[in-house]
Amino acid sequence: MSPMPASRIRLFKPALLGAALALLMAAGGFQGHLNRLRSEEALGLTRVEPLENAPPVLAFTTVALGGFRGLIANVLWIRANDLQQEGKYFEMVQLADWITKLEPHFTQVWLMQSWNMAYNISVKFTDDEDRWRWVQQGIRLLRDEGLVLNPREALLYRELGWFFQHKMGQNMDNAHIYYKARWAEAMEAVLGSGFPDFDAMIQPPDDETARRVRRLREEYKLDPAVMKEVDQEFGPLDWRLPETHAIYWAVVGLQKSRPKDLITLRRVIYQSMALATIRGRLMFLEGADGRRALRLSPNLRLADKADAAYEKMIAEDEEMRFAISQAHKNFLTELVFLCYMNNRPNDATRWLDKVRRLYPGSIPEGLTAAQYARARFYGSMNDMRNDQVRAVIEGLITQSYISLAVGDDDQAAGLLKIANETWNEYKRKTAGQEDRLTLAPMDEIAAAVRKTLLAPGAMEPALAAQLRTRLGIPPPSDPPKPETLPEP
Amino acid sequence: MKPLWAIAKLTWKAAFRYRLFWALAALLLVAVVALPLLLRDDGTARGFIQILLTYNLSIITALLGLATLWLACGILARDIEDCQLQMIAVKPVSSWQIWLGKWLGIMMLNALLLALAGGSVFLILKGRAKNLPPDQQAVLRNEIFTARASVREPPPDLNDMVNRVFRERLAQTPVPVEEQAMLRQSLYEQARAGVEVVPPDFKRRWELNFGLRRHLVTDEPMYMRFKFHAAQTNLTGTYTGRFLIGPPGTERVQSRMVEGLAPDAFHEFQIPNNAFDEQGKLTIEFINWNDSALLFPIEDGFEVLYREGGFGLNYVRGLLILLSWLGFLAALGLAAGSLLSFPVAAFCSLSLLVVALSSGTMASVVEEGTVTGLDHETGQGGIAWLDAIMLPLFKAILAVVGLLEGYSPIDALSTGRSITWAGLGVAWGQIVLLLGGLLAVLGILTLSRRELALPHARS
Repeated sequence: MSPMPASRIRLFKPALLGAALALLMAAGGFQGHLNRLRSEEALGLTRVEPLENAPPVLAFTTVALGGFRGLIANVLWIRANDLQQEGKYFEMVQLADWITKLEPHFTQVWLMQSWNMAYNISVKFTDDEDRWRWVQQGIRLLRDEGLVLNPREALLYRELGWFFQHKMGQNMDNAHIYYKARWAEAMEAVLGSGFPDFDAMIQPPDDETARRVRRLREEYKLDPAVMKEVDQEFGPLDWRLPETHAIYWAVVGLQKSRPKDLITLRRVIYQSMALATIRGRLMFLEGADGRRALRLSPNLRLADKADAAYEKMIAEDEEMRFAISQAHKNFLTELVFLCYMNNRPNDATRWLDKVRRLYPGSIPEGLTAAQYARARFYGSMNDMRNDQVRAVIEGLITQSYISLAVGDDDQAAGLLKIANETWNEYKRKTAGQEDRLTLAPMDEIAAAVRKTLLAPGAMEPALAAQLRTRLGIPPPSDPPKPETLPEP
Repeated sequence: MKPLWAIAKLTWKAAFRYRLFWALAALLLVAVVALPLLLRDDGTARGFIQILLTYNLSIITALLGLATLWLACGILARDIEDCQLQMIAVKPVSSWQIWLGKWLGIMMLNALLLALAGGSVFLILKGRAKNLPPDQQAVLRNEIFTARASVREPPPDLNDMVNRVFRERLAQTPVPVEEQAMLRQSLYEQARAGVEVVPPDFKRRWELNFGLRRHLVTDEPMYMRFKFHAAQTNLTGTYTGRFLIGPPGTERVQSRMVEGLAPDAFHEFQIPNNAFDEQGKLTIEFINWNDSALLFPIEDGFEVLYREGGFGLNYVRGLLILLSWLGFLAALGLAAGSLLSFPVAAFCSLSLLVVALSSGTMASVVEEGTVTGLDHETGQGGIAWLDAIMLPLFKAILAVVGLLEGYSPIDALSTGRSITWAGLGVAWGQIVLLLGGLLAVLGILTLSRRELALPHARS
């Protein structure tokens, strides 16, 4: 090859320099467009925005590692998967911490890691306390870190709400009662009760309240002012219930998120409202052994607001309108039943009218609310033996007495009414066969239940005393004194 | 031996001249002290101790490994480049003594640093554990601060059964030759399923022979560890079963109902002490109370863990295995330094290390049978000539890496598993004597044949 002439050499280098400059300028021109795409999240994987609320170490790490962050995160992710396969979970929190810190704006990373802890890892344990620890780890990762770094990501709020609504609130996990009890205890410790005084929490009148509010803000990331708003709009809610917290985080998400995926947050609200209505009344019953048992019952005071939330969602959510309508129909029919069972016949009739008006054919025409509720209740009783019927009646009376003892008079009356009707219905069906299918008189069954419940050690003494008072039964007399003093 | 020790002593002095050595030593100190403050555990005392043990020992190994490789490359290559080695070579010291003396020097240094760092970690762990509540201390004592061995059922010889059924099948119905392999495979799978699968309401029995070991584990806590897969998922994703532990048909059988068992995960439960019979046989039965069949894999489906020894000695054995890794790295660095200049030797050694760390990728390539990836629609591989070269190479590398990785003490220590003296001996034999020895032969031969006073050497 012949050497390049000197004149061309002189031109060659400036030409290369010029080409480099031109390419650089062209790249600069494209950069603006690329940045716009990134900020519009068309390229969700890479973001140019500086980290918000990030500690200096995290900010430095994300800048210093640049594109290698993804590579390191992949390696850590593979290690996490391998360890999980081997049943070694002790590194998971640390690995999740590193992975999320390497990709702090990658929403799916937060969702995946927190879900993995709360759902996949938790169920690997048989001990309830172990499970609860992992559910909490998932919640903490989202609430304490994910949302701090991504305060405008609706999907993170939705996921956090879902953990409360589904993982803790639903009964899909064997340990769901344990989760509910532990969460309720934690909230009682910090709020004082399920229905706190929000004004006192916003302006704490004493040091003790101020201390509790500080813990509420720092540990649980709950803002009393927002809690008050939520309670006013959707309540009165029991703040010991997981569903209430699902609603809270959905509301916070609606206030803070970008206008994208907001519909998912609204779904959390109406679904949680329905759950809070159906079983949103929480109380602890103390057994004679000192252990506290969780009792959930309907909170029918929320029915109208839950119904309104459904209607709002049906109007707003075009994509899921049919599915939500079906859920609404089921909710309304459930309300008819629950209102009747809880001695609210007028409300039961009101909801019956509504479900017939909105969803014709869902409840057969001609049935009253009472007939519908009874038919639904007796549906499973047609094939029962007399001893099984007695067991059902005893159960209803027991629940009725417990409701009476804890002050839930409506439910107590409703359950007793159903017990009476069950007894009458069975007698009617077995008329003429009394010798073979005998069932003790109602008073006798009720007396047997009372005797069992009030026997020493069966109930917590305070609860037993309350039941005695409500039933007008005198307290048990002291044991007879010995005639002679025992020998020392 | 005198020249050997003299060179080892010189190696110590040379090592202290490296700034990197001091930097890594400082890092080692910082890592041991600061790591417990930085780590995030799973919220349990056991998890904290496990993560502390794993990360501390990993960091110590990584830092010492890096320092060893750097020192080994530099100490020989620099001596040659700076003409320092000529001063020794002219003395009545043979090449193997120079090479081994340097290896010995590096290893003595490693042993000292490892003992210091490992000892610090041990003290930190024990100190942390001492402040825990008694119940947590008991958990640590039984599950982490111990050396647990395991007993499994001997794997059933399925081939005998498969061969017999295969012959019977052929006698009944002739099977074309090209289909016989498939038939044999199918019979094997059936036989395997017969051992592994527990249908609903059926029982699976494991008989574990402790033999004379029963005298060692009398009154000691024992744990069963198992894993299963479920044929069908259910609503809660968990399963229920009952374990019957003890000699069958006797009053000593103890029953334990277990609910909420997740599939595809290891579960560990303490079992009653001394549940074996007079011959040392421990019988455990599982009754499947689910609607789905459960499968307990033969390989890791069921084992019983028992205390074989104390944590202290187990920990020392673990550290000695780590030292064997460092011995290999020292040999690798010295072998590279015998032939190459310092930067090139360091680069080559580190590259080899990276290749070794990529064994996962190589393993998947070997498993798929192709470098360029499998076309899952056609089932065909990529470029044949490339596979023909790379696959044997990858297999050879994996075989070598397997010798190193087969003895990972960190994992065993963090899960309270026993590292036996025999295991330690085999590790040293394979890693130091075999692999290190090969490198040593290569390095010594190279060094003995190398011209040390070439004119291009630094003047």
